[in-house]
Amino acid sequence: MTGGAWLCLLAPLVGTILILLGGSWLPRKFAAWTATASVFVAFGGAIWAFFGVRSAPPTPAGGLLPLQVPAPVPAHGELTTAWTWLQAGHFTVPLQLLVDPLSTMMMLIVSGVGGLIVLYSIGYMDKDDEERRYFAYIAFFVFSMLLLVEGGNLLMLLVGWGLVGLSSYLLIGFWHERSSAVAAAKKAFVMNAFGDATMALAFFILIAHTNSLSFNALSAPLSSTQANLIALGLLGGAVAKSAQIPLQTWLPDAMEGPTPVSALIHAATMVTAGVYLIARTHVIFQEARTIELIAAGLGALTLVVAGLIALVQTDIKRVIAYSTMSQIGYMFLGVGVGGYANGMFHLMTHAFFKALLFMTAGLAIHALANEQDIRKMRGLGKVMPFTKWCFLAGALALVGVPPFAGFFSKDPIIASTLNIGWYGYIFYACGIVGAFLTGLYTFRLWFLVFPGEPSPFVREHYHDHNGREGAWTMLVPVGILAVLATVGGWIQFPPLWEPITKWLAPVAPTLSVAEVSSTQEYVTSAVAVLVGLAGVALAWAIYSERKVAIPTAPFWRRLLEHKFYFDEAYNKIFYGPAVSLANGLRREFEDPIVLQTGPDLGETTLATGSLVRRIQTGLLRTYVLFLAMGAAGVVLAFLIAK
Amino acid sequence: MDGPNVAWYIAIAAVLFGIGALGVLIRRNTLVVLLSLELMLNAGNLALIALSRHFHNGAGQIFALTVMAIAASEVCVGLGLVVALNRRNLSLDVDTLSELRG
Repeated sequence: MTGGAWLCLLAPLVGTILILLGGSWLPRKFAAWTATASVFVAFGGAIWAFFGVRSAPPTPAGGLLPLQVPAPVPAHGELTTAWTWLQAGHFTVPLQLLVDPLSTMMMLIVSGVGGLIVLYSIGYMDKDDEERRYFAYIAFFVFSMLLLVEGGNLLMLLVGWGLVGLSSYLLIGFWHERSSAVAAAKKAFVMNAFGDATMALAFFILIAHTNSLSFNALSAPLSSTQANLIALGLLGGAVAKSAQIPLQTWLPDAMEGPTPVSALIHAATMVTAGVYLIARTHVIFQEARTIELIAAGLGALTLVVAGLIALVQTDIKRVIAYSTMSQIGYMFLGVGVGGYANGMFHLMTHAFFKALLFMTAGLAIHALANEQDIRKMRGLGKVMPFTKWCFLAGALALVGVPPFAGFFSKDPIIASTLNIGWYGYIFYACGIVGAFLTGLYTFRLWFLVFPGEPSPFVREHYHDHNGREGAWTMLVPVGILAVLATVGGWIQFPPLWEPITKWLAPVAPTLSVAEVSSTQEYVTSAVAVLVGLAGVALAWAIYSERKVAIPTAPFWRRLLEHKFYFDEAYNKIFYGPAVSLANGLRREFEDPIVLQTGPDLGETTLATGSLVRRIQTGLLRTYVLFLAMGAAGVVLAFLIAK
Repeated sequence: MDGPNVAWYIAIAAVLFGIGALGVLIRRNTLVVLLSLELMLNAGNLALIALSRHFHNGAGQIFALTVMAIAASEVCVGLGLVVALNRRNLSLDVDTLSELRG
């Protein structure tokens, strides 16, 4: 099973290196297929690892063993060490992979959904000038993400964490001739760097107190302050990577990248890494329960705020991006209250239906000459029926209508907040409001874009691809994901059958407070579905039948269109002072001191030189006289000293 | 066969050195300046050998040999310069050769 893990990890890296070394010698198609094949090989490796873990004998219960150096093998998994990577005194970090139920689940999602999206990219990026660079980057991203989820200790995880940030930066700024794309890439990188820094600080505290960075070090006895600080640092990383309030502003801008990148990185895999991180390091979050509840609170806040902002967006990709933030909010809520399996399950179904939504949006954008404004797209369903039905499957899964995937994964998260205390009811309310907003914004998008007669814009700009809605490499992955978005949730239906919860129980068992009775599950499901359908109905009444006018509340509308003024506030609080500080330093320090030093230095040297050159008479005998006087001086000095 | 006291030798060496130094300082003919330089070097040699004998230590003689070798090289260069100056019909007066005045 460790062989599968190594194969899974290294295949995309080999693909990247091949494409990079081949450069322009490689035919374009070859680069594309190399990347696709490498990710599918990785998926094969993930399946190998999955069956390995499944058939592995269960190690004694009790979760992670107490701290020892070197690290013991975690329950139900295998830690494979290639070699010692770093060594400093008693502190060692081996290069190791961890194959356990949690990491195999992530491996399957990343390489499986990733493979489909890379296949889709072949059609989407066809005839782009720099296709090969794109495929090298995307294979590198898959490698980095797999390193993140397979990393056998916290440092390996951090390496993967940093590398996904890098590949995300490279891919957001892929169309580097667009200045908005470059700005978005920088924004994403800076915000993620903030999270990386807080994570690194948490690791330093951990090293200082346990002298180790293995996952088991997290269960070492720590004082509550230490545990809180470490958990807070990890939460900072998770919040930045997963675009939760207050570090969420980079994700909508990241939509500047190619659509498959938005599907893969900014919907299905990378942005959900924060959820994985909390599930993976849940031991420390349980020690620091307050911080864990803060994570849940941030998730609850984000899911409502992002849902509200999505209501007024007019760019098809931005609507889906805000929806992604909102859904990750649900996942944070799920893992934050202690239902790690719920969060991970929603992560999986979300990967299916959100990748599907992005890819159908990509089909529409591709067929409409790169137009992304939904106000121009009315009636697209007439000309693109396949896209329409696939989008509908994704939309229903997102809203959580049975039997689509989101229904099975979202409702347990909302239900799991019921028994944790008074704040649980606030979370519950947020979850229900979020469900309503999800129905409203998703079907606002649907009714604006697909039904009805095609608008003049669609009629004019729609162009098909050899009689189909897109290249087959684009249509096949969309079809597969539409099926997965429909049936992918049937794996688990709490409380009737819960294979994912059981699968993850050895690694991340659900906390007892997050367990709810069957009645609570059923009632929550019913309420959430009804509320979601109410949102759909309202969207239908407003945007399809036009029976209800769009409420004109100028204040609220402005607030939402400015995304609650987060960007403006950050500009005022961080960017503005930084710029004034820099300007002040230039005025007070650089111009008068740094820039003036050079000329001053030169002038002083010149003045001194013209003074000193007088003794250079050119007369040999003067020099000899100086020499003789010097020698006499030395002799005299010696005599006197004696 | 002890010969004169070492102090005499040192005194002669000092006198020779003084003559040489004075020559370098006050004479203007390049050839004479070179000559005076040689005088100073040989004054040094004399002092080295005298003290070497006085202290029964061979190191001084070795130094003297080294000084001779260096003096020979120096004369080569110096006389070469004098020949070069002469070929260009330049004056051999050291005071007129002041091109390098700062």
